Amino acid sequence: MAPARAAGRAGAAAALALLWLLVCAPRNAGSRLLTVADLFDRVIRHSGRIHSLSTALYAELEKHFPPRDNELGKPARKCHTSGMLTPNGKEYAQKIPREELTHLILKLLQAWKEPLSHFNQHIEHHQELPDDSLSKAKQISNMVHELKTGVEKVTEKMQSMGIISNSLNGMASSEATGLSISNEANMMSDSDFIHCFRRDSNKVQSYLKILKCRIMPESSC
Amino acid sequence: MLVNGQVAIHELEVWIFGICSLFWHWSVQMTPFLQVMVCSGDGAHTGCTTLIIDLCGKQGIQIYPKSAKGCTDLLRWPQISTCRSPELETFSCYWTDGNFYNLTAPGTIQLLYMKRNDEDWKECPDYITAGENSCYFNTSYTSIWIPYCVKLANKDEVFDEKCFSVDEIVLPDPPVHLNWTLLNTSQTGIHGDIQVRWDPPPTADVQKGWITLEYELQYKEVNETKWKELEPRLSTMVPLYSLKMGRDYEIRVRSRQRTSEKFGEFSEVLYVSFSQTGIEFVHCAEEIEFPWFLVVIFGACGLAVTVIFILLSKQPRIKMLIFPPVPVPKIKGIDPDLLKKGKLDEVNSILASHDSYKSQLYNDDLWVEFIELDIEDPDEKNRVSDTDRLLSEGHLKSHSCLGAKDDDSGRASCCEPDIPETDFSASDTCDAISDIDQFKKGTEKEEDLLCLDRRDNDESLPTLANTDTQRPHTSTQSQNSQPWPPFADSIDLASPSVHTQLSNQNSLTNTDFYAQVSDITPAGSVVLSPGQKSKVGRAKCEGCTRQNFTMDSAYFCEADVKKCIAVTSHEEYEPHVQEQSCNEDAYFTAESLTTTGVNLGTSTAETPNSEMPVPDYTSIHIVHSPQGLVLNATAVPVPDKEFNVSCGYVSTDQLNKIMP
Repeated sequence: MAPARAAGRAGAAAALALLWLLVCAPRNAGSRLLTVADLFDRVIRHSGRIHSLSTALYAELEKHFPPRDNELGKPARKCHTSGMLTPNGKEYAQKIPREELTHLILKLLQAWKEPLSHFNQHIEHHQELPDDSLSKAKQISNMVHELKTGVEKVTEKMQSMGIISNSLNGMASSEATGLSISNEANMMSDSDFIHCFRRDSNKVQSYLKILKCRIMPESSC
Repeated sequence: MLVNGQVAIHELEVWIFGICSLFWHWSVQMTPFLQVMVCSGDGAHTGCTTLIIDLCGKQGIQIYPKSAKGCTDLLRWPQISTCRSPELETFSCYWTDGNFYNLTAPGTIQLLYMKRNDEDWKECPDYITAGENSCYFNTSYTSIWIPYCVKLANKDEVFDEKCFSVDEIVLPDPPVHLNWTLLNTSQTGIHGDIQVRWDPPPTADVQKGWITLEYELQYKEVNETKWKELEPRLSTMVPLYSLKMGRDYEIRVRSRQRTSEKFGEFSEVLYVSFSQTGIEFVHCAEEIEFPWFLVVIFGACGLAVTVIFILLSKQPRIKMLIFPPVPVPKIKGIDPDLLKKGKLDEVNSILASHDSYKSQLYNDDLWVEFIELDIEDPDEKNRVSDTDRLLSEGHLKSHSCLGAKDDDSGRASCCEPDIPETDFSASDTCDAISDIDQFKKGTEKEEDLLCLDRRDNDESLPTLANTDTQRPHTSTQSQNSQPWPPFADSIDLASPSVHTQLSNQNSLTNTDFYAQVSDITPAGSVVLSPGQKSKVGRAKCEGCTRQNFTMDSAYFCEADVKKCIAVTSHEEYEPHVQEQSCNEDAYFTAESLTTTGVNLGTSTAETPNSEMPVPDYTSIHIVHSPQGLVLNATAVPVPDKEFNVSCGYVSTDQLNKIMP
């Protein structure tokens, strides 16, 4: 009796497994690719929104805090992410490996997380700023966090699908922490700070677009 | 310092000798000029000349900074006009010369640039590719997201400087290869839809997603001046709907980077002409504009109809249709015209009987029962007599009908609170019949009862046969002697319906029913003889009669109330309390009551005597209030056109009409 029961149980389990394989597996294989494309579209759109918000916020800050008359001072504007080595042209962006590009994106996003939250706390004390600007800053801070999560998910997906390798996983976080708040970031004026962020958000968006079109050239690039 | 005759004006070493008279001569042209006195000579002889140098003129000295104020005829300095990148991979800078070269030695202008991390300025790598007065930076020199600074200078001085980042100066090239296809045409062939397609600028690398472009399409008819714009969109094809097939159109497209605001140049204009496609279309001569003509016509028609309608509304019928008349207070069964005519007999009867109108409600229940009453029974009489009741403690219950025996004949009806129980005598009914007839027209049942009554009354009270307008009077007279028999007779008609008639007969001299004015007090108030023993269901009303004061309203005859008071005040000189207890909804004025009460004291002697002949009719002396009446008692009960204010409501209008 017992062996019969055991055999029965095994048979049932096998049947279940087979059923699962039949039903779930094929769909998964096909849907995964689509999902990556969808994920990419989502993060690209998200980054685009972040960029628009930061552009608008920068314009508002420029209005409220007129720039210095000394135009020569502009190139001296130093962002705390200036030290990062990032591809500054299309060819470079297309040449570097995907993993590195992904890693760069994550690094950038990580580098801005804390400064943004500090910035948020800082400008809340600004009485002369309209509520619109304050809400934008808050939104930006939240969206950057979401974007980072999204990009991480896409990365995981790509790694699980074998599109990119897992080599650079650990490096992202450790490097990024080194780029957290420096004194420079604190000394910058608000509009400069946002100008830096705006530039970096544009970078992130462009890198994401390049990455997507490299991984899935057939989808609408 | 002596200088030669020729002033080297291009050199900045002109020493202005002597008094520097800088004339800022703001002439019409507003050009500043410099007056220079130049003296030359050797130590012995000096000759001076005066020069006036137009600082803005071509010969002027370059003293000013680059933006020379007031110089219309200008000295322009070289300026960087724009730097742009068409595709985010290269960029170029353009500048303008000004008229520098004409003035100075043909020195060279250079464009120097510096990236953020550089130490010093570098020269433009390519002056040629982008055209004259331009500098082209190819991809190897271009770094996105890195601040650049460029400056325009020659060896000595800097003319202009500019700092930017390449991703901020993106201005895409115009789209290319515009074409259009016809989608469909309307059934009338007047309008059609087309689809316009184009290609992105060839330089922009949208394929790799490096740059994302937005496009804005503008179109207009050929002879129009203003372009119509569509919303910026990402797609490279756009449908245009509802274009007129008979006209030609022009279309142009421009693009911009998605994240920026500035648009690039417009593409070439695309001409759309439908005749080329060979489609037949209807040539519409003129577009139908808003049909003002029709609007005017219809508006005029509407106005005319309205005017006619208003005119027609003058007619009362239509007017009544549109504006129905507001109901005015009206006593049922009484035609105001009747009052106008002045037939007081009828009016009296009607008025007298109107209070019975309410009892029409109960007409359905024909409680026509004949109550046998032993009229000769003094006890009963006493019992039932209102007068007695009034005079006595009023222990008589309100339930008793007019001295009705406790028969099983419509007692309830008698005693129902709502029923306008008006005691009346048969004689009264008799007399009242003739007058009641009119009133009874509306009430057939009552007519029957009247007939019955009539018969009875006629038999019982022949004296009352001579009913005329004076009927109350006569009846009074007759009745007074025998107050009770009439009551007895009336008791026969104990039906509620009969009561209606009886109430009519209240106009008769049955003093028990009506507020028969017995006396007029000096104060002008009326003392009423004991009237009806109305059986208003006000059991509380002890001293007062059970007079039912009104049939259809809460109004009480002042007379009735006064009667009531008269009785009660007999006991005490505080009618006020009794008043209250008597009539909860008495509408008489308090002062009238008080006066009455006061006065009653004097006249109470009379009141108990119901036998006393009292004037039946009183003329309205004063109208106290809208609700109150003071009746003039005529010295002699002359039948007049007065009428008793029966316990009923007389509308003010009618009273006013009747008043002398």
